Amino acid sequence: MSGTAAPTRARLPGLAPLAEWGMRHRVFGTWLALAALPLLLPSTALATSVVAYGLYALGFNLLFGWGGLLSFGHAALLGGGAYATGIAIAHYGAPWWAAIGVAPVAGAGVAFLMGVLAVRTRGIYFAMVTLALSQCAYHVAYQAVGWTGGENGLRGVNLREVALPFGMVLDGLDPRVRYGLVAVAAGLAVAAVSRVLDSPFGAALAALRENEARARACGYDVRAVRLLAFVLSGAVCGLAGGLLAIHLSVVPVETMHYATSGLAVMLAILGGMHSFFGPFAGAAAFLLLESAVARWTEHWPLVAGTVFMLCVLFFREGIWGTLVGWLRR
Amino acid sequence: MVDYPLDLLALQVFAGLALGAVYVLLALGLSLIFGMLGVVNFAHGALFALGAYVGVFLLGTGWNFWAALVAVPLAVGAAGLLVERFLVRPLYGRPVDDPLLLTFGLAYVVVEAIRIVFGKQPEPVETPELLAGAVFIGVGYFPLYRVFLIGVAALVVLALWLLLERTRWGLILRAGARDPTILRVLGVDVGRVWLLVFGLGTGLAGLAGWLAAPLQGAAPEMGVPVLAEAFVVTVVGGMGSLLGAVVAGLLVGVTYSMTSLLAPEMAKVSIFALMAVVLLLRPQGLFGRPGGLMA
Amino acid sequence: MTAGGAALRAEGLGKSFGGFRALSGVSAEFRAGLLTSVIGPNGAGKSTFFNLLTGAFPPSEGRILFGGRDITGLPQHRFARLGIAKSFQITAVFPRLSVAENVRVAAQALVSRLDFWSHRARLRGLEERSAALLARVGLSHRARRAAGELAHGEQRALEVAMALAADPALLLLDEPTAGMSPEETRGFMDLARALAGERTVVLVEHKMKLVMGISDRVLVLHHGELLAEGTPAEIRADERVRRVYLGQRA
Repeated sequence: MSGTAAPTRARLPGLAPLAEWGMRHRVFGTWLALAALPLLLPSTALATSVVAYGLYALGFNLLFGWGGLLSFGHAALLGGGAYATGIAIAHYGAPWWAAIGVAPVAGAGVAFLMGVLAVRTRGIYFAMVTLALSQCAYHVAYQAVGWTGGENGLRGVNLREVALPFGMVLDGLDPRVRYGLVAVAAGLAVAAVSRVLDSPFGAALAALRENEARARACGYDVRAVRLLAFVLSGAVCGLAGGLLAIHLSVVPVETMHYATSGLAVMLAILGGMHSFFGPFAGAAAFLLLESAVARWTEHWPLVAGTVFMLCVLFFREGIWGTLVGWLRR
Repeated sequence: MVDYPLDLLALQVFAGLALGAVYVLLALGLSLIFGMLGVVNFAHGALFALGAYVGVFLLGTGWNFWAALVAVPLAVGAAGLLVERFLVRPLYGRPVDDPLLLTFGLAYVVVEAIRIVFGKQPEPVETPELLAGAVFIGVGYFPLYRVFLIGVAALVVLALWLLLERTRWGLILRAGARDPTILRVLGVDVGRVWLLVFGLGTGLAGLAGWLAAPLQGAAPEMGVPVLAEAFVVTVVGGMGSLLGAVVAGLLVGVTYSMTSLLAPEMAKVSIFALMAVVLLLRPQGLFGRPGGLMA
Repeated sequence: MTAGGAALRAEGLGKSFGGFRALSGVSAEFRAGLLTSVIGPNGAGKSTFFNLLTGAFPPSEGRILFGGRDITGLPQHRFARLGIAKSFQITAVFPRLSVAENVRVAAQALVSRLDFWSHRARLRGLEERSAALLARVGLSHRARRAAGELAHGEQRALEVAMALAADPALLLLDEPTAGMSPEETRGFMDLARALAGERTVVLVEHKMKLVMGISDRVLVLHHGELLAEGTPAEIRADERVRRVYLGQRA
């Protein structure tokens, strides 16, 4: 920090160190936010949505913000996880840990299938191909009525009880229990994502984002790194989908829709794609704004689209990125 | 598998060409804009829907189909001019994702504006009287309107070809697609060229929307599947290649049409399978140049 | 490695782009431990030759042998892992990563690429190695800056450090002094000369005068073909080379 920033610091005593602390302890900071969220938001259900969608955006941003790859097909990954959890519960009556466990596996599997094709392209082509592939996944889900319920959605995803060791059983229908379950799973995933970013692979991914030709000349296999990034992103987004299915007790076919892919893009940009916590902040801001606007008009997409365009034009670092940049100035 | 009579198959191919004609118009617009500006217009589907609704609006005020056929592309093209001038232009020189993201946001606004003005319910659009009925095309009777669709697409392709190959403007466009700095050296106002190309491309999207309206009606969200399908066409044909847009548009149309006859449950998925095969065997697309967008 | 044996050998190398033949029938060897320069006027096919030797694209004809092994057609990242490193004609660094991280991640490519679970700081020796390389190219004082903020000459030096990070047996440099000040150029040529003592160095250069003083061997390309090959003294005396460079400031 240069001395010229002193007046700003004097005006905001203590906040710059706070921003520094948050960047150094990004996992712990996110855990604190997860713990505080139900107290800050008007309803536990809204808090649960924020966590699930925040995790979705975080998984998307692993590819977008950190890997420089813009995907417009993440709905297929979220949906893959959501259907896996939903089918495990609704068709097989699986216990909570198994139902949640299959979600990241399914998300990673769908990501692998899409990624094998998509990583052969780059840039805007990547955006177009992922969009087309997820549209394909949407049609598959729409037509596999026996498994997914098709147009009506997969109903009866009711997690009635959460059995813990030592005979403890929690009521799965209690919103607070659901929030706890979702927040703990998301908290672990956040720690895992942070670890991936700190890994040798994370360094390779950043290098690839910065200069692909250079990374290739260093000896990195561009397709392999990208495919792994896509699969890991799929695991995180798949988990988010599974948590969303448990939260909502239903998997609508719209989970796979183009608009859901676009939602991940919106959340990441709105919150800030270059910061770790940005996508979570984006999810919180988006859902809060949506519930506020819903009181005035039913035309929320008009507001969302406008806010998004303003972000692209003028606030490219998003809410959180701008805030952190401002505090550290 | 059931044996299908040859004339039925032939008719189905023809139906595919008619569907393909709409894809060709959409993909030409996308490819023109991409080829010149390097921008992927994610609002292309929304402008397709806008085209259909501008037509519906004009019909409601007493215009006929033919007048609307001229006015719709002009109106949507004019909207495109505004979009380029005030929204896309500030983003030149920024990362390539930025204009893409902006047009993605714009699509939300356009679709929701349509819902506000026209409501959420789809609007049926009648086939103009002159084009109602069927015509004998050698192998059987075929809806006249679809023959008309193919004809319009062929005319547009021909006009575009003449524009690009036989006019001074086309010379500028072809030079600019290779290297915009050439245009600056020649003293051409590049900003103006880009503005007009964006208008032309979006105008084609509007035209496609109005032409498709009698087939499927007008619905606010009609642009979403169309956007994905137009991307498939672009990937199959090769990004930025106009010849690729034409050939792939027809190919995708016929693929869809044939699978909906032979294996209806696979129809929607088939064109994506086609894209997957192309990506595996020839990732730059049928007429695309290798390198650039391929990893 | 013993000096004198062929580290890299090109056999009848040719490349066409569409109908245009950029390079044809070039056979040459780059002897281990020597500094070999490839020179030629503009459009002689130097860049094409360089790109073929580094695996950026495959040749249309001919073979490339590295240490006796045929490596023709391998993907570029495999070239790098075999020990063939290159610098780019247009400066290529990771602009938003720190200077130290640029070199560290380049060195990491040989030991760990897809490990997503351990901590990168635990990879032994990488940080020390990159610090030593930065010292060697004179960038230690810039280690914590973002690479994109460096001056042009500094970025070129950083590129060399990145190329050296993998401890390559063969180092190819494509017009490394383009855009450098005369002083930076002199420093760079000294560095290239010093590097040749420990590994094979290939220098592709437009300006003949620059390389004559430091090269062990010189190849001259002209119109996509090999025009002459020999020691700097032989090349200077070569009548054909003089004719090609006549009128140019050699």
